[in-house]
Amino acid sequence: MLNYLVRRLLIAFVTLLLVTFVIFGLVRNMPGTPLTTDPAMMDPSKQISPEDLRRLEKLYGLDKPWYESYFIWIGNLARFDLGRSIAQNNRPVIGLIGERVGATLTLSATSLVLTYLLSIPLGLWTTVHSGSVRERTLSTVLYMLYSLPSFVAALFLQILLAVKLGWLPLLGMVSDDYASLSGLGKAWDIFCHALMPVACFTYGSLAYYTRFIHSNMQEVIRQDYIRTARAKGVPPRRVIAHHAFRNALIPLVTLIGLTLPALLSGAVILERIFTWPGMGSLFFESISQRDYPVIMGLTLVFSILTLLGQLLADLLYAVVDPRVSYS
Amino acid sequence: MDTDRTTIKDSPSRGFWAEAWLRFRQRKMAMMALYYIGFLCLIALLSPAIAGTKPIVCRYKGTLYFPAMGYFNRRWEKPVFQRDRFYRIYPTNLQKNDPNSWAVWPLVYQDPYRRVRDGEWDDRPGNPTGTDGQPSRRNLLGTNQQGFDVFAQMVHGTRIALTVGFVSMGIAATIGVFVGSLAGYLGGWTDVLLSRLIELVMCIPALVLILALIAIIDEVTTWHLMAIIGCTSWTGIARLTRAEFMKLKQLEFVAAAQAMGASHWRIMFRHILRNALAPILVPISFGIAAAILIESGLSFLGFGAPPPNPSWGTLLSSGRATIEQTWWLIVFPGAAIFLTVLAYNLIGEGLQEATDPRLRQAGQ
Repeated sequence: MLNYLVRRLLIAFVTLLLVTFVIFGLVRNMPGTPLTTDPAMMDPSKQISPEDLRRLEKLYGLDKPWYESYFIWIGNLARFDLGRSIAQNNRPVIGLIGERVGATLTLSATSLVLTYLLSIPLGLWTTVHSGSVRERTLSTVLYMLYSLPSFVAALFLQILLAVKLGWLPLLGMVSDDYASLSGLGKAWDIFCHALMPVACFTYGSLAYYTRFIHSNMQEVIRQDYIRTARAKGVPPRRVIAHHAFRNALIPLVTLIGLTLPALLSGAVILERIFTWPGMGSLFFESISQRDYPVIMGLTLVFSILTLLGQLLADLLYAVVDPRVSYS
Repeated sequence: MDTDRTTIKDSPSRGFWAEAWLRFRQRKMAMMALYYIGFLCLIALLSPAIAGTKPIVCRYKGTLYFPAMGYFNRRWEKPVFQRDRFYRIYPTNLQKNDPNSWAVWPLVYQDPYRRVRDGEWDDRPGNPTGTDGQPSRRNLLGTNQQGFDVFAQMVHGTRIALTVGFVSMGIAATIGVFVGSLAGYLGGWTDVLLSRLIELVMCIPALVLILALIAIIDEVTTWHLMAIIGCTSWTGIARLTRAEFMKLKQLEFVAAAQAMGASHWRIMFRHILRNALAPILVPISFGIAAAILIESGLSFLGFGAPPPNPSWGTLLSSGRATIEQTWWLIVFPGAAIFLTVLAYNLIGEGLQEATDPRLRQAGQ
């Protein structure tokens, strides 16, 4: 087991180095630098002289070739220094990311909890009522939701709930008068703003998980031990919850590991549509500003989470299913 | 039916694909999705004849021309109209330059690339601009802020949506099948290296990869987008192909082919690939849906081909700017994207259930 873990971690480490190397090369070779894409520079009166530009490039280390900069970046990383943002007033990258984590987690963690809370009962319900008209309707609706692109859903919801009915605020995370609200008012304000984004984050995975549980349960309830349990007189409810669902859990657990990166990466399009100040928005901004340190910091976080998620999925698999072992 | 049972059938047994098609046809939703995609193909092919401002056929100064073909490729519109200073406005100029000319016009006189102005067609007023372009008799689905007709854009956007799906998945499938079959068939170090490569591409955040590649191109066109989407979404297909090849290469028919002296190349792509094709088709079908999603998402974020390109995603993004007034810029293209993605997903699922032998036995 330990052997396996060490080998996996080593492979993950190498993959991480390669991923950051490729991304570093790609972003550094995108046309434009953080110094030339700054909107203030477009104004001819504020344009800096070539000497100043060269001085700034030297200051930020942009005068070196990218592979050299990469090794400097790795060196700093080894000392847990992600560098400072170029486009956003020299602020440390860790601080910038830390500011945005809360907003993204508000959406993704809520949506993850909601997904599990709703999809498990729905999945079990569709299994029990399999073939009935109600189940077919629900499954069809879920299938359609699964195919509905989240940005289309977000725009439709905005038109319906914010523009036509005026029930919910259209954009943002807080209202303009947020600072003057009381503690409870603040919470309510964020709640109202978060409703639509959370719904858009949730419905797709809800549909996917429900279908996933349903199809796994369909496979499990055909097993012999379920027939045995029924035959010996176990109540139907207990057969489903205790005998069948516990075995359908195995693939579900591996899914948890794979959702780990989604927890922090947010969704760029959704956060853009709702102008939600999360990680996805930061990512989008940093790419359009060519803010290399921020792009690299975010890429690092996302890649680590992806690799950890895959590892976690495999490990959890061995934990839930005693037949699987890695020794 | 009863007579069938008593007589002995001597019809040859159906092949794998005929069997799969028979099963696929039994699924009503999948068939409906297939019809819908066929319908979209028809719209895409006939788009210049459905909505456009260029005549489908016209006789001008004694020669027959097909100016509407210019919507497919600008070079197919004969230069004679440019020389005679038509400025893309055909109805009045045809009459003015050659009174004996005649023309067959598209069903709807609207253009996806420009605004129809006052008096272009029988003293009809020009398209409304800004946020006034509500759906009306003249502009069936409204107009955007620049006065371009939404119906014409949607019809011509069908062409983009369909080609994006097919071309980018074609590229992805080629790369994926090639890498996957090499890794699966050859095994050993090739497999280790290629598997690492697949893992690497999977770990790179897709958006960074796509945006970085787009940024490198000077003038982004839809073709560039297709190539980029294709080059970034082959990993799933490669992994599946690898698994299938690893399974199939153990079978007797491969050993037989080897014994007969067939080359590796021939065994991989003539013998094994044919048998692995069915499971590979399923992720390809889902991949087409994903490619359409990515293209419209990128166009929505403003990274697509610059306007005026009539992509559904571009329409959505122009609608988002004035979301409080222009609902028609969002509802129609949004519904089109949704239905197309749904259709490909349904086809993918239908294929899966029609070709998967395990599910087939369960059904009987």
